[in-house]
Amino acid sequence: MSVVAPQRERPDQFPTEDEYRHLLGRRARRARLFQVVCLFALVLAVVALATLLYTIVNDSFGLVAVVNQNDPADIVADLGYDPEVTSLGDLSYDEMVGLVATNVSSGVGRRLEREQRFYEDRLVFESDAVWAEICADAQPPAGCTSAPRDGTNLFALVQERVVVPDVIASYDLVPSLLNRAQFAEQVEAGFEAGRFPEYSSDQVSIEWRAWFNTNYLRAPQNSTPEVAGIRTAILGSAWLVSITLIFAVPVGVGAAIYLVEYAKPSRLNSLIQTNINNLAGVPSIIYGMLGLAIFVRVLEPFTSGAIFTTGVPPSENGRTVVSAGLTLGLLTLPVVIISAQEALRAVPDSLRHAGLALGATRWQTVRSQILPVALPGVLTGTILAVARAIGETAPLILVGAASFITADPTGPFSKFTALPIQIFQWTSFPQEEFRNIAAAASIALLLLLLTLNAVAVILRNRYARRAE
Amino acid sequence: MTRETSTEDVIARMTVEPEAGETEVREDEDTVQAPGVIETRHMDVYYGNFRAVADVSLNFAHKDISALIGPSGCGKSTVLRSLNRMNDLIPGARTEGEVNYHGENIYEDHVDPVEVRRTIGMVFQKPNPFPKSIFDNIAWGARINGFKGSKSEMANLVEEALRSAALWDEVKDKLDESGYSLSGGQQQRLCIARAIATKPDVILMDEPCSALDPVATLRIEELMLSLKEDYSIIIVTHNMQQAARVSDKTAFFNVKLNDQGMRTGRLVEYTETSQLFTSPKVQETEDYITGRFG
Amino acid sequence: MTGEGRVDTGKGPGSLTKRPRFGEMAIRGFLFVCGALSIAITIGILYELGSESLLFFQDERVSFLEFITDTVWQPQVGGFGIWPLILGTLLISLIAMLVAIPMGLAAAIYLSEYASRRVRSFFKPVLEILVGIPTVVYGFFALTFMTPLLRSIFGSNVVGFFNVLSAGIVVGILVVPLVSSLSEDALSAVPISLRQAAYAMGASKLEVTLRVVVPAALSGIAASIVVAMSRAVGETMVVTLAAGASPRNFQLGESSLFGYILNPFQGAQAMTGYVAITANGDLSYNTIDYNSIFAIGLTLFFMTLGLNALSRRFVERFRQAYE
Repeated sequence: MSVVAPQRERPDQFPTEDEYRHLLGRRARRARLFQVVCLFALVLAVVALATLLYTIVNDSFGLVAVVNQNDPADIVADLGYDPEVTSLGDLSYDEMVGLVATNVSSGVGRRLEREQRFYEDRLVFESDAVWAEICADAQPPAGCTSAPRDGTNLFALVQERVVVPDVIASYDLVPSLLNRAQFAEQVEAGFEAGRFPEYSSDQVSIEWRAWFNTNYLRAPQNSTPEVAGIRTAILGSAWLVSITLIFAVPVGVGAAIYLVEYAKPSRLNSLIQTNINNLAGVPSIIYGMLGLAIFVRVLEPFTSGAIFTTGVPPSENGRTVVSAGLTLGLLTLPVVIISAQEALRAVPDSLRHAGLALGATRWQTVRSQILPVALPGVLTGTILAVARAIGETAPLILVGAASFITADPTGPFSKFTALPIQIFQWTSFPQEEFRNIAAAASIALLLLLLTLNAVAVILRNRYARRAE
Repeated sequence: MTRETSTEDVIARMTVEPEAGETEVREDEDTVQAPGVIETRHMDVYYGNFRAVADVSLNFAHKDISALIGPSGCGKSTVLRSLNRMNDLIPGARTEGEVNYHGENIYEDHVDPVEVRRTIGMVFQKPNPFPKSIFDNIAWGARINGFKGSKSEMANLVEEALRSAALWDEVKDKLDESGYSLSGGQQQRLCIARAIATKPDVILMDEPCSALDPVATLRIEELMLSLKEDYSIIIVTHNMQQAARVSDKTAFFNVKLNDQGMRTGRLVEYTETSQLFTSPKVQETEDYITGRFG
Repeated sequence: MTGEGRVDTGKGPGSLTKRPRFGEMAIRGFLFVCGALSIAITIGILYELGSESLLFFQDERVSFLEFITDTVWQPQVGGFGIWPLILGTLLISLIAMLVAIPMGLAAAIYLSEYASRRVRSFFKPVLEILVGIPTVVYGFFALTFMTPLLRSIFGSNVVGFFNVLSAGIVVGILVVPLVSSLSEDALSAVPISLRQAAYAMGASKLEVTLRVVVPAALSGIAASIVVAMSRAVGETMVVTLAAGASPRNFQLGESSLFGYILNPFQGAQAMTGYVAITANGDLSYNTIDYNSIFAIGLTLFFMTLGLNALSRRFVERFRQAYE
């Protein structure tokens, strides 16, 4: 057999040395180009993420042109304080109630009191007799049974009713930092063009506003975007997460233990496994439908709390925190099961054999030997699943998160709202200011998720180190 | 799987059909002797449809060290695991025939495998201490089996087990440290101590020294000889010399091809160790011992 | 030596008998119920979606035939053909795939074939963060950044306030990590021996990657694409906020139908968008609107079920190749 290279046998079918070098150069260039293109894709992903974060932060801080009906400094001065020293937030509770009383009509005052009382022991706008009467009614207003307002609530009310800020124009963060003067010019031009007919240009003050600040976190929901806060939403989300955890973790970990430690290969058990894998891929909105149909509708006597006569005030329908929490629980269940399964499977079989060979029962072995080793993995997976649940919006819409609610949730049978719902609603309103508070709420949500994920990662690293 | 068509005598002997006459020699005194602590009668072990081990009848004497030897794949570990029903853990595993523990068949329906494993303990090939402290490794077995004593009584139990395993002096100052902080040989002795702590009747050991260095191996062999006074020990080993050193009786297993080409393990010879290694009764045994195959 | 019986263990025959361990049985029963609950969930989904859909089809204003063949969705006037909504969903998903497949695949190739450990440790977290951002925030992003951007690029008379392109691009960004991580797993699983064989013949990295590794990992890559598609189809918040609430109704036989159907610059309500908007409004039980949600939901469920089953088949093939 000839071992001469084929090129030498068929010189015209293969490239010459020069041609080959030329080809090689071209191939090398293409290869480098390809590498750059692939890297570019990754860079593009980073750019997308950065742009998203930039958009949110940009909308949450910046200059605003605001017109206050009553300037806070004037209000404080009228009460006899030095505005340089005292600010509106330093006023006492009684002083703030007084402000409200002098600045709103009695009709509005009575309505406010019926929503939520100002004092536990006395009424401000209503007479005792009338109050007793309306509270004895078949459907008494919320103020009859709920707790009275607190300082944060009242401060927000003072802002809304006494100061009445109206942001007539806002400017994003980066332009605010770079080009402050231009904003003032724009506002002036707006006045000349007649865009703000109800005000005159000297009523306007241009100030820096952080839409995301601590007051924002503590203030309740409000229809006025300048005053609205996300406290109601944060509490709602906290309630939801608690219920989700209470339901999904025991059931999910239990199912995982069953499938990994107890189940013998059989048709039923592999059906269960396939089913769980399927459920993990079902869109969240379908879980919302399931929750609507079952928890809100069929189980209304339970989820509205009507069936429980002890103390906890019921709602008139099933659109309550507990319905939503259980729905989210169903949603996260497959994910919890799958990640717990992985954690359990990672435990080496030798531990199981060792335990059983000593005459331990299956549960004794699982409880004392397997679970402790798998626990960090299970915890991490649970935290990540919960983090996902916090950001879910579609199921909450279906289950009937309240579109406007100002009272904090008081129990599992309250109406509720949640952070993602607020973001959704505020984003859908056309006014500029709603965009700002939607962005601020997004920051809050992302911070919350960041914390949860960081906890999960720290946990995972700590236990991974310990196992070595 | 095709049959070997090589003409070597040894392989030809390996493919002898088992039904063609008695090629296994059992102790002639079998029917006369009373059954030992564990006795198997015509035991087969299947994994699904595959017969891993066929027709094993063995009689393990009380407070003996019995060794199971043979080439890899001959089913000796399978036989060992069926003695304490650890084979149950393998899906599709099935045992037929009898395995009698003090005359009672442990595979009957009314028998609880958990109970079986309490009295027939096991030490594995790769040491597998729990990720707990040395103390808890030993205490756990006692606790789950209902130990009712006080804390000081438990401490005594732990010390006793560690002494029996010749480990006490090395760990008495660090009982709270993790079991993983010990060397390989120490870990294996810890596993032995752990098995002893539940006061079993029999200790099964599945190649206990194969993951250890020669020095550690020697210590474990010495340990086995001292444990013999209180426990019956059945060990599987691929190291013939080890069997020769420690055991009283040895069983030699071999793998045979049947006409479907399946490899099934069979008991070839079971007799006093000294006799097996000097004048075995079956040619196969001699071929294995002299290294003609394996 | 034999037959003396055990001396000090006190264990005799009969002590091996099973005692009923009630605690053990109870625990095992509880755990089984937890596992079986998942089946109850699936049954619940199918039952609820099915029964409400049945009510929907039993209403005299709706016929099943109309549902699956008509091309107008306008509940107020009795139009209940599902195709406009499916069109919306598919348009958005298609645009999303056009964004996510190249980006995700290229990213996966870079991460598995080119990237050093440091580079990977930078980019992988970015991808994980992308997939962890709640979709409602993505919706906000689509509405407040992407749509104005598109309008300034293409002109605000071309691009509507609600448009499919903006929603599609953002959904694409959302699912890029799905494509990239599953594809990367598939690419990494290709044995190094295959690559070495190709290099040894003098191939460049581009040629090895595109001609050897990617084809070998193809079923895994296909699985990742199908998973991403399934996610895009089920996505709700981005499409609700950015693609609008008007279904793209059409009539077959219209002139320039193709251009109208495929126009990415206008809005088109998707199936999930319709469900969300309807549920967000006043919704009373047993109205046709209420029931229509479930009919759409059932369709969506089967679509994603089919896609997920398909992706699992691809994963099986990909696993079989290497085990």
